[in-house]
Amino acid sequence: MMIKSHPGEGLLYQYASGDLSAAMTLVVGTHIDMCKACRQTVCEIEQKLCEENLDTLVSVASTTMSKSQCDQMLEAIFASSACNKQAHQPNEILSLEGRRFTLPRTLAHNSHRIGEWSKLVGKLWRAPLTLDNGNQTNLIYMAPGAKLPEHTHKGKEATLVIDGVFNDEQSEYRDGDFILLDPSRTHTPETQDEDCLTLATLDAPLHFTSGISRLLNPFSQLFFR
Amino acid sequence: MQMVSERTSNRGSMATTQTDAAEKAAELLAKIAENRNRAAFSELFRLFAPKLQSYATRQFGNEQTAMDLVQETMTNVWHKAHLFKPDRGSPSTWIFTIARNIRFDLLRKNKKRKDDISADELWPILSEQNDSLDDGYALDHDVLMQEISFYYAQLPDAQRVVIEKIYIEGKSQQEVSDALGVPLGTIKSRTRLALKKLKELIVDDD
Repeated sequence: MMIKSHPGEGLLYQYASGDLSAAMTLVVGTHIDMCKACRQTVCEIEQKLCEENLDTLVSVASTTMSKSQCDQMLEAIFASSACNKQAHQPNEILSLEGRRFTLPRTLAHNSHRIGEWSKLVGKLWRAPLTLDNGNQTNLIYMAPGAKLPEHTHKGKEATLVIDGVFNDEQSEYRDGDFILLDPSRTHTPETQDEDCLTLATLDAPLHFTSGISRLLNPFSQLFFR
Repeated sequence: MQMVSERTSNRGSMATTQTDAAEKAAELLAKIAENRNRAAFSELFRLFAPKLQSYATRQFGNEQTAMDLVQETMTNVWHKAHLFKPDRGSPSTWIFTIARNIRFDLLRKNKKRKDDISADELWPILSEQNDSLDDGYALDHDVLMQEISFYYAQLPDAQRVVIEKIYIEGKSQQEVSDALGVPLGTIKSRTRLALKKLKELIVDDD
């Protein structure tokens, strides 16, 4: 199945350079897990960033490490023990309403951060993700035949379809589709015969400005109060 | 420490220098992974610590934080060298992504609460779990060999030989490594660089 809606190149750049918020990094990273084309692009961007930031040695003469600093640091590194902080075991299965979903890699690595599911109006469920202060990131599950009232957005929002399909007036979104909201647009997301699991965050960086107009819009922030 | 960056007006020889440097770094990483070779690590450290320091100084504008980034990045390289995959990218790109992750965490450290997410959870590049993705530089199957042969004649000899053995003779990378007496990691990085170069040649020609 072809993924038709992708993060813009500017967003992929910020992802690769580590300049997005944790929440946006998670959503973009999960899209990349599902999308071979974007994975390839990110590989190329990382290589380019490396060439610009690491391979091209800009001389910062005053801060060059001395020989003794080097030796000291090497000693410290050899003396260090492998960092064995027990990472949470990735869990790629999510069960909900009698359905089993397979989570993409980045999301599976963060499965321990998925909170309790709660039922919202209509045929909608959501579970918050604990990422850091102040972000509003949620898994949202729409049962078949779910529909949201028409609404607008105050801020930017990214939504990724993990599994299933939903549509609004503009288009239909399926597995892997990444949608960045335009604050001015109104729309009415709904599911038809199939259900839909999405990952959505309101925590968008303030500074991306270009190439985004082609992206469309799904959920209301009435979910995130 | 000598800090003169190698520059030359001749792009061809610069590319060769970079390729050689990448192969050297890949060999050092392989030695570190194999037997915790301190001499190999020291050499790798001298190659990368000044570059990391320069990157970090520009990022943080703070010498102490910059040194923390160098130390934490190279500590990860020392313990995780076995996770470097020569067919996925160059050694410096791998090290850069580790530094990128350390930077992400250092930037958030002040605001950090106990349960905050860390870069390793977001970019699981240092995860021991073998959840490999089927990425890499694979050429489209519908690109005909005849078309390719025109382009691959333009590859540097060392890369062309590897490509011929793998794509024409159908040898595995291990077999090519044995046949040429060159480490497997070098074969993998040559394959990757050659495919990348071919892709560039083909795209440029469009």
